[in-house]
Amino acid sequence: MTKRIFRSICLVAMGVFVASAALFLAVLYDYFGGVQRKQLQMQTKLAAQAVANEGISYFDGLDTAEYRITWIGADGEVLYDNRSDSGEMENHLEREEIREALAGDLGESSRYSVTLMERALYCAKELPDGSVIRLSVSQNTLLTLLWGMMQPICVIVVIAVVLSLALASRLSRRIVKPLNELDLETPLSNEGYDELSPLLHRIDSQQRQIRFQKEELEQKQKEFDAVTENMTEGIILLNTKGNVLGINRAAKQLFETDGSCIGQHLLSVNRSTQISDLLSSAETGLHDEKMIDLSDGRYQLILNPVKYGEILSGSVLLAINVTEKEKSEQMRREFTANVSHELKTPLQTIAGSAELLAAGIVKEEDREEFYNRIQGEARRMIRLVNDIIRLSRLDEGADSMKREKVDLFALAEDTLQFLSVEAENAHVVMTLDGEPAFMEGIPQLLQSIILNLCDNAIKYNRDQGSVSVMVKKGTDEVILSVSDTGIGIPEEHQNRIFERFYRVDKSRSKELGGTGLGLSIVKHAVRLHHGKIRLQSREHVGTAITVMFPVL
Amino acid sequence: MRSKFDQQLALLHRELITMGALCEKAIGLSAKALDEGDQKKAGEVFDYTVQIDQKERDIEALCMRLLLQQQPVAKDLRVISSALKMVTDMERIGDNSGDIAEIVTMGHITAEHDKMNIRDMALATIKMVTDSIDAFVKNDMELAKAVIAYDDVVDGYFNRIKTALIEALGDHNADGEYALDLLMIAKYFERMGDHATNIAQWVLFSILGRHEDDERSKETGR
Repeated sequence: MTKRIFRSICLVAMGVFVASAALFLAVLYDYFGGVQRKQLQMQTKLAAQAVANEGISYFDGLDTAEYRITWIGADGEVLYDNRSDSGEMENHLEREEIREALAGDLGESSRYSVTLMERALYCAKELPDGSVIRLSVSQNTLLTLLWGMMQPICVIVVIAVVLSLALASRLSRRIVKPLNELDLETPLSNEGYDELSPLLHRIDSQQRQIRFQKEELEQKQKEFDAVTENMTEGIILLNTKGNVLGINRAAKQLFETDGSCIGQHLLSVNRSTQISDLLSSAETGLHDEKMIDLSDGRYQLILNPVKYGEILSGSVLLAINVTEKEKSEQMRREFTANVSHELKTPLQTIAGSAELLAAGIVKEEDREEFYNRIQGEARRMIRLVNDIIRLSRLDEGADSMKREKVDLFALAEDTLQFLSVEAENAHVVMTLDGEPAFMEGIPQLLQSIILNLCDNAIKYNRDQGSVSVMVKKGTDEVILSVSDTGIGIPEEHQNRIFERFYRVDKSRSKELGGTGLGLSIVKHAVRLHHGKIRLQSREHVGTAITVMFPVL
Repeated sequence: MRSKFDQQLALLHRELITMGALCEKAIGLSAKALDEGDQKKAGEVFDYTVQIDQKERDIEALCMRLLLQQQPVAKDLRVISSALKMVTDMERIGDNSGDIAEIVTMGHITAEHDKMNIRDMALATIKMVTDSIDAFVKNDMELAKAVIAYDDVVDGYFNRIKTALIEALGDHNADGEYALDLLMIAKYFERMGDHATNIAQWVLFSILGRHEDDERSKETGR
């Protein structure tokens, strides 16, 4: 800008100068031309007078360096010329100035002289004798005059140019200085040109807008980070080339990497075939899912392409832990298989016995035993089906069952009454201690908890053993504990006995009519009451199961 | 121009990682096939060796193209030339895995066989291969040096297996064919360890611009 202003000022200054010089010279030229003509006319008149008076002798003493004087006779013959030999000169009658002079007045012309080979101004006057005196002056003299003036003009030009350069550079710098010193960080604080103020206002408003948008973006980024950082699922953001744009904490842990992987290709983080397959579908913008085994379990990787309109702008990779899900799926599958198996065994006994009876193969005295066996197995099946129904109800949740205030002690009393025959048969002594303890709960479920626990305590007891049930009221919980003097549970089985159909000693359990579902029902029922179970057991010494219910 | 070159270099890096992953798969699968005497798994190894061969050719072509079109200098040249050498070693690892799988498909070796220390040796070799590729991926000099040092462990396994086999053959209580197969397998693992060492050395070369051996010989004044 400085340059441009400088150039413009320079050009304008020089243009003005050259134009005025030219104009000045033109006017001067014109003026000098006029003066020269007037002088020539005057000299011609004087010379005419003199020649008329003195004749040719006038020329003898004449000193005329400046003028060329020609005397032409009436017939046009040159009588005298002070610059060239008159004898050799052609007839001048046809010359413009001569003709004009002969016509009566002063004759004037300006033309190229053939004789002297230069441009000349002519002036002629007729003498009384009919001859003509003509004076001419070379126009070169005028140019010489102007040429003589060139030198000072040149000096002036140089001075003017130098001056205009210096001034232009200073001026342009002065003009641009406020522009250079603009403080764009705080546009409104600037003083200087009023013309700039709309621009500065605009800059200021845009700056404010940018600042606001930046804050907004940062805020959003923070929110996004906060959300993703605390997710248990791993999230990785990828660009179209498969480079990592962002990764949350869970994903960092999963893929055993740190923040340094941002910007790198995902294959540098994990080069398993699943990942490389996912990346190739990411390139084509397809949704894809893969399972992968990582350090802490099995993960489902879900890849979602991110598209803006039709343009693929990257993809999001989600890693979800499916270890638990797969485990529970497997447990469900096992349960189905177990149920079928458990149902099949008694049915086979029943079917076999019935077939033998129907075929009449069984002896009269053995029939009684067969009937008993069919009856026993059928009862076992009913018990099993009942247990399964109860369990599936528990699985569905306790919403359908009514909660009410229950006295756990009274419930325990009833249950012990109910089991007294069984206990007597097994030669086991049952005792109940404690105090009335009220709690919020579902009576049927609470009863089945006590029943199952006591039933187990009787079944897996030794001869002449004992079962002691205790109901106690704590500060904010009700405690039920059932302890026996039975065979106990080996340590390696202790954390599995609450699983469905899990039995420590399969043959013994069947013999005693267990379904393998009792403790599983207990576990579910306790969970529905938000209670806790504690198991203490030593092999051959006894087992104590304590259940703690919150009073609510 | 440069940005395209950078893109191609990134592609080369990615392709090498993929090839490394394929090698890991191949050696892991062949070791498993050997351990379980599983001929079906051994068959799958061949799929991987085919893929590895294809990858090698792809990467070679890419390197050639880069060398011709971009005329790289300094570090870029080192990276590309070491990539060219690395793929050869990776391809050999794939081939050796295929060789082991081939012995398994012969059916002389079954799951019940006492395979001496070959499982430990396989694990050590797999660790070497994985670590060498990790060193490449992460440009990790320390890991590369660790891989080179670990080669002695694998060599140690090979010598022990060899000695044990000689003893067993001397006592006439070993099936000759089986013993030879086992020796071959041990040798293949040992070779794979060497190739992993080479890869680690090329990783060092691409970072430092000189071979570790040179450095060592300079230090000792040899």
